[in-house]
Amino acid sequence: MSTAASSQAPESCVTPASITAEPVDESPGRGREPTTRRTLLAFGAAATAAVLLPGAASAQSTRRRPAPPKKGDFNSIIPNEVPVAPVEWASDTTRLLRRITMGTTDVEVALAKRYGFRGYLERQLQFQYVDDSVADTFVATKYPLLAMPADQLFAQNSGTIQNQLSQMTLYRAAFSSRQLYERMVEFWSDHFNISFNKVGYLKAVDDRDVIRKHALGNFRDLLFASAKSAAMMLYLDQNQSRAGAPNENYAREIMELHTLGVDGGYSQNDVAELSRVLTGWTIAGRGNFSFNPAIHDWKAKTVLGVTIPAGAVAMGAAGIQEGEQMINVLLDHPSTGKFIALKMLRWFLSYDPTQAQIDAVAAEYTRTQGDIKAMIRATLNSAWLRTAPMKLKRPFHYVASALRSAHPTVTGVAGMNGQLNNVGQPLFVWETPDGYPDKVEYWAGNILPRWTFGNTLAAQSAGEIIIDIALFQKGNTADATIATIDARVFGGEMDAALRASLTAYLKAGTYNAARIRETLALAFSANSFQWY
Amino acid sequence: MSDLETTHDDCGCEEYNALSRRQFLAGAAGGSMAAVAAYHPAWLPKVVLAETYASSRDVMLSVFMRGGADGLSLCVPFADPDYYLSRSTIAVPRPDATGATKGIALDNFFAFPQALAALIPAFTASDLLVVHATGQLNNSRSHFDAQRYMEVGKPNDPALVTGWLGRHLASSPPVRSTAPLRALGLSAGLQKTLVGGPKTLPIANPANFALGGSAATVDARLAFLQADYAAATPPMQANALDATNTVALLKQINISAYKPANGAVYPNTGFGNALKSVAALIKADVGIEAAQVDVGGWDTHSAQDPLAGSMYRTMLDFGNALGAFYADVLQGPTPSGVTAVAVSEFGRNVRENGSNGTDHGRGTVMFAMGKHIAGGRVMVNSWPGLAKANLDSGQDLKVTIDYRDILAEIVKNRLGNTNLDFVFPGWSPTMRGATR
Repeated sequence: MSTAASSQAPESCVTPASITAEPVDESPGRGREPTTRRTLLAFGAAATAAVLLPGAASAQSTRRRPAPPKKGDFNSIIPNEVPVAPVEWASDTTRLLRRITMGTTDVEVALAKRYGFRGYLERQLQFQYVDDSVADTFVATKYPLLAMPADQLFAQNSGTIQNQLSQMTLYRAAFSSRQLYERMVEFWSDHFNISFNKVGYLKAVDDRDVIRKHALGNFRDLLFASAKSAAMMLYLDQNQSRAGAPNENYAREIMELHTLGVDGGYSQNDVAELSRVLTGWTIAGRGNFSFNPAIHDWKAKTVLGVTIPAGAVAMGAAGIQEGEQMINVLLDHPSTGKFIALKMLRWFLSYDPTQAQIDAVAAEYTRTQGDIKAMIRATLNSAWLRTAPMKLKRPFHYVASALRSAHPTVTGVAGMNGQLNNVGQPLFVWETPDGYPDKVEYWAGNILPRWTFGNTLAAQSAGEIIIDIALFQKGNTADATIATIDARVFGGEMDAALRASLTAYLKAGTYNAARIRETLALAFSANSFQWY
Repeated sequence: MSDLETTHDDCGCEEYNALSRRQFLAGAAGGSMAAVAAYHPAWLPKVVLAETYASSRDVMLSVFMRGGADGLSLCVPFADPDYYLSRSTIAVPRPDATGATKGIALDNFFAFPQALAALIPAFTASDLLVVHATGQLNNSRSHFDAQRYMEVGKPNDPALVTGWLGRHLASSPPVRSTAPLRALGLSAGLQKTLVGGPKTLPIANPANFALGGSAATVDARLAFLQADYAAATPPMQANALDATNTVALLKQINISAYKPANGAVYPNTGFGNALKSVAALIKADVGIEAAQVDVGGWDTHSAQDPLAGSMYRTMLDFGNALGAFYADVLQGPTPSGVTAVAVSEFGRNVRENGSNGTDHGRGTVMFAMGKHIAGGRVMVNSWPGLAKANLDSGQDLKVTIDYRDILAEIVKNRLGNTNLDFVFPGWSPTMRGATR
């Protein structure tokens, strides 16, 4: 304590604390264990089911109904069941299709089955050979600002840019033929998250020139493009960092979130040193990368054990090589391959991939020097897919998949883009650099807005999204309508229980367009449509 | 009935008095349903609950200040000379300075910035406690690790996925067994703090929580969904059932028309509107036991400016909203007690950086507010000082009080839950006199 302050400093109001003592983990062997993933919500789920659902459960539910805990016994261990796919999800190819697209349609399922598992995956990987001219033309016509260079875009209305960027993203997610590419755009948009609210038009430039340019390319190129992206530099304050006053924000996140992972083996000192290495990386003009030797810290630095000797301002533009050298150190670090592998496995396969899976995909990263396609091939093999638990669609994925299945006539997606806000995942406004969460426990409670959206979508009969109910009325019987919903919404693999309940709902009213739309809304709302 | 009318006349807020549940039930017991109906507030038109309830347990409002809030701006140690030496461009002037931006003295050492002026009434009434040089043992300077472990309530245990408040709910019986919703997060997704809580949902906007579609078929569709999700896995299963039941609950409460008591005015911001919704739900007295609300904007790496810039605006919103909540809920008659807390994952470097901002640090402040909070003071465990030699890693305010000490005391004394080893596993809290 400084002497000057001590005379005035408040007295301790409590007895000296054991604050510095390491916490003692008392849980093993004790009567009460802290709730872990395996017991997540067990108490509440059982209590709710027991109290609130007398008689509402159909026979199918009993296989998953845990026994109610004894009163007051919150220690009851009820395993959190892995969400296993319905037995009807039997085809390897549709299993793959669910993972690499924004949702099934009858047309896409037929296409995938024609190509077969490997053929379909390869076709989606070689996206540039997939004709996407319809979507390209739509986007070029409707969202012209997105083609502008940064120095022109800067002069445009920010709200218009944001709308065009979000609507383009939703439109392509739902209707592009390059579905795996769009899944990867979403993946990298979270990995290299940038909030439009902080950087404005530069996010649109980053989306085009960083994320979309390298989405299925090489991770090295992607990382370098991101590091030199004006949007990223502004978002993480890199442009503010200078010799003598480094800003640690970007230096921290490039290690924690973009490459090594938080447990990847770097220290606070590495963060501080890397921030010095990167001083001088800044923005020029309306959104160009620039290295400014005048604000670069030329003294010696050591990051992750690699020492960069002192230089001099006279070296000028050559000083950029320090940062490039360190980014290569990050790219070559074993933690990076493992971290990207982990994230990719979580994205496509399972929330809890095994170490063997992580090692296998990371090995592809190392072998190919960061080839994204090679890592995806390693991730999406039929053996792993067969045993992979279902994943919960995030709200954006849910909306895109419902749009795909509805097969509407589309002249715009402004309204649907607004719906993303209602379901909880408006695009490109996640504030913090970790990106939108991809966790069941985060999104699972947000279920009512999905049901509301299902109603809204199924009711679209005029305007920019039109669902032609005649498509669902083919055959003009309830059973034929259910068969169409099965094909369009569930890829022909609707589970038997849902088929029975949807049929019962449809038949309980007059068979007309309104009832069919309600039934379609319930299909979008059903539990099995929330998963992939 | 005369009691009702008397109270009604005494209070400046007719909306509030009318809905005090105990009075409502007292009236009902008197046998005059017509008279009761006359006191039914406009925004709460249909709620008639069978179960009486008089709980000594407080409702918990838990606020997370996301981004790492600078405790040295929120509660300024103006008497520590190193504060001004470290903050040459972003300091809050001493209370005895001249000018409109000077601090508001809380004692002879600490001051609020002007942005928090709205919290002065709560502080003066001894209902607001500021805890300084607090935080968590986990020394991560990662937002996401630090938030996670703070919300989980146990440092460095990646296997623990539930939050401390969720575990509190899971380990205490419901205040009202028929309540369809015990807790909510004012968020599109459930915050970690609440994970594990039974009958707990994220509801971004409680004023708009309905299925939509034809009113003629809404019950049939809700029944369909209840049955469909009965076969889902946890947590989807419980969440869906809670959602359908909560639709019915919130349909009864016209939150949009809610009028705060005591002339309180919530800022028309995300945080302000969230607290206003929470206030309406608390006063509706429908069995809500906890609400989690997030407020962002604290990651002030550049252009921090607590006097007029981004930090000022963030603090102003925070202070005005909590100040309104205090006037509305804590100063007015309320069907149950309420305690509010606000925490942040870490503080910021003592020295400002070259961008007139501050990078990630450690110790910061937390707030606790309530009628049974021993407030009106800044609690410290010996001020560690801001001289470089006294800083954590040579750069940060030390953590001298584990935030769990404060929360555990509130969980025990205000939420009536003695299962502290379940709520905060592995932590033996020191009771520091945060409650009274």
